[in-house]
Amino acid sequence: MSTALDRKPDYSTFPRLSLEEARAAAADLLAMKGAGAPVEGQMLGRIERFYRQEARILDEERYEDWYDLLADDLFYWMPLRENRFRRDSRSELDPDSMAFFDESKADIAVRIGRLKSNLVWTEDPPTRHVYIVSNVEAFETGVDGEFETHHVFTQYRNRSEHDEATLFGRRRDLIRAVDDGFQIVRRLILLPQSVLSTKNLSVFF
Amino acid sequence: MKAADLVDSSFGTIDRRIFWDPAIYELELERVFARSWLFVAHESQIEEPGAFVTTYMAQDSVIVARADDGAINVFLNSCPHRGNRVCFADSGKGRAFTCNYHGWAFGLDGALKKMPKMGLYKSTPGFRMEDWGLRRARVASYKGLVFATFCEEAPSLEQWLGDFRWYLDAVLDVEDGGTEFLPGGATRSVMRCNWKFPADNFVGDIYHALWTHLGGAEPTLGRHGGVIVENDGSYQVSVNGHGWEFNDSFFGNAATMGDRELLRYMRSRQEAITARLGDFRAKMWGSVASATIFPNFSFLPGYFTFRTFQPKGPTTTEIHAWTLVPRNMPDDIKDRFRRGSMRTFSPSGILEMDDGENWEHSTSANAGWVTRNQKLCYAMAPAGEVERDDLPGEVTAGQLSDANQRLFYKRWAEMMDAESWADIPTTGSDAQFSEAAE
Repeated sequence: MSTALDRKPDYSTFPRLSLEEARAAAADLLAMKGAGAPVEGQMLGRIERFYRQEARILDEERYEDWYDLLADDLFYWMPLRENRFRRDSRSELDPDSMAFFDESKADIAVRIGRLKSNLVWTEDPPTRHVYIVSNVEAFETGVDGEFETHHVFTQYRNRSEHDEATLFGRRRDLIRAVDDGFQIVRRLILLPQSVLSTKNLSVFF
Repeated sequence: MKAADLVDSSFGTIDRRIFWDPAIYELELERVFARSWLFVAHESQIEEPGAFVTTYMAQDSVIVARADDGAINVFLNSCPHRGNRVCFADSGKGRAFTCNYHGWAFGLDGALKKMPKMGLYKSTPGFRMEDWGLRRARVASYKGLVFATFCEEAPSLEQWLGDFRWYLDAVLDVEDGGTEFLPGGATRSVMRCNWKFPADNFVGDIYHALWTHLGGAEPTLGRHGGVIVENDGSYQVSVNGHGWEFNDSFFGNAATMGDRELLRYMRSRQEAITARLGDFRAKMWGSVASATIFPNFSFLPGYFTFRTFQPKGPTTTEIHAWTLVPRNMPDDIKDRFRRGSMRTFSPSGILEMDDGENWEHSTSANAGWVTRNQKLCYAMAPAGEVERDDLPGEVTAGQLSDANQRLFYKRWAEMMDAESWADIPTTGSDAQFSEAAE
């Protein structure tokens, strides 16, 4: 359990990328196309187990445990999607554009601070979650202990009587092996929706 | 049934059926939306000739395009041949909009230019190309914000906005060079609520923030922090149904983004903005405030999120949101506003996330047959004196009040009941607003 998330900590002291570091991380994520040697066998099994465990931690709303799965140099990005003609030469995923998430670890801490405040009426009674992670691929990156992964997810939420949301998406991660598992260093979350079909993203991906 | 019977704007009661009744919604499309000036784009979204965005005016899909002569045209995004949409991109650049169905092609002004086998039409008696363009709207801008209406009888945009323009300058004209929307299109999300709940929330409901947003405000406002919301030094102003509630804190809203660098920058601008706009309006720039331009275009000073509440049926609304910044602001600060507005007022924002819940359940709970027969309370009107007599519009002392919301619904009822624009009262002239004494 992280002690860093005590009530009302000073978030300005939490890990945060500079703008340049965030832009470099975004460029790295955009360049990840599965070009490295595929990771097979036991290591792929460990990576898949890590994602099953992460999904269960999020299902159970164990946000402080999830926070500990994030590296201090985290870059966490969910860009907006726009409908554009194929002939349009602009890059659709542009780090200068508005996003749903564009976060350092400190920003995630603020979000967890909100959820922990016991003052969030939207989450009380709580939401019930089911995450499904699938199609996991992993690739060597050239850095020892760091892996590029690609996978898809389904995230179902239900609360109250009829409130529900089903979001499908694809994730692209850079993960780093640590003593007892992995940490997420970079994460790109791509939702296919250009108009978000739900009223909020009071969840993590 | 008259809308005036559903709204008591003097004491402040409202019939719940206006938030879900399909017949009322249909009448709103005709009497309110089709007769109003509606926000369609910021000029910065379509700078070059050929640049376009698509958006909605109520449920009508429209294209907003920059012509070769620099003019901005707004026209229906529906082919007059069989009705199909002619443009499926949210934004882009081109010379023509060609319908996928039969290939009718339209210019940047919406005019019909050509179609496959044109000879078939040339030999059709009575067919004239000029009769079959995409229907064009009237278009006008105020300091970068582009509005349109298909109503020929509506007054000018200047009259429509009236003296509200004087207040708008507190976010649209804080420095030379004007403003822009940050790039990347609109943040769009669906809420199962009536469009009027978010519109009335922004027009004058700071009261909800003290309770709804407790959880979201806690982590960013520091150990002993808190945004002060009091009726001393704060106001509500209303003009033609448009409304703005605000205090004099200069960056009270911005403070909840939790970015000290950003506040340092804003403080560094205060003297220059004061010299430009006077002390009173300068203090509105990023203060604890919210505003709606009637009927469904709203913004928040400080976060500078601008958004339309697009009606998609009596109980469904789409929020389309952008972030507005002064064009000459340093890039690093623009990026801080991009991230700050995203983290507070977007579907993932720690403040906006709690709003949708309220509006959705207010909409659905109001429909119960017994429930609908108890009126809603919009009566808050604490006593207070406006100490200044030089402020334009209908001014109420204290931002904690339902005054603007009552005037929003008064305007709504006037438009709903009016047979024509001649029956809709509008204050203010189309003359450039003279600077109020500071």
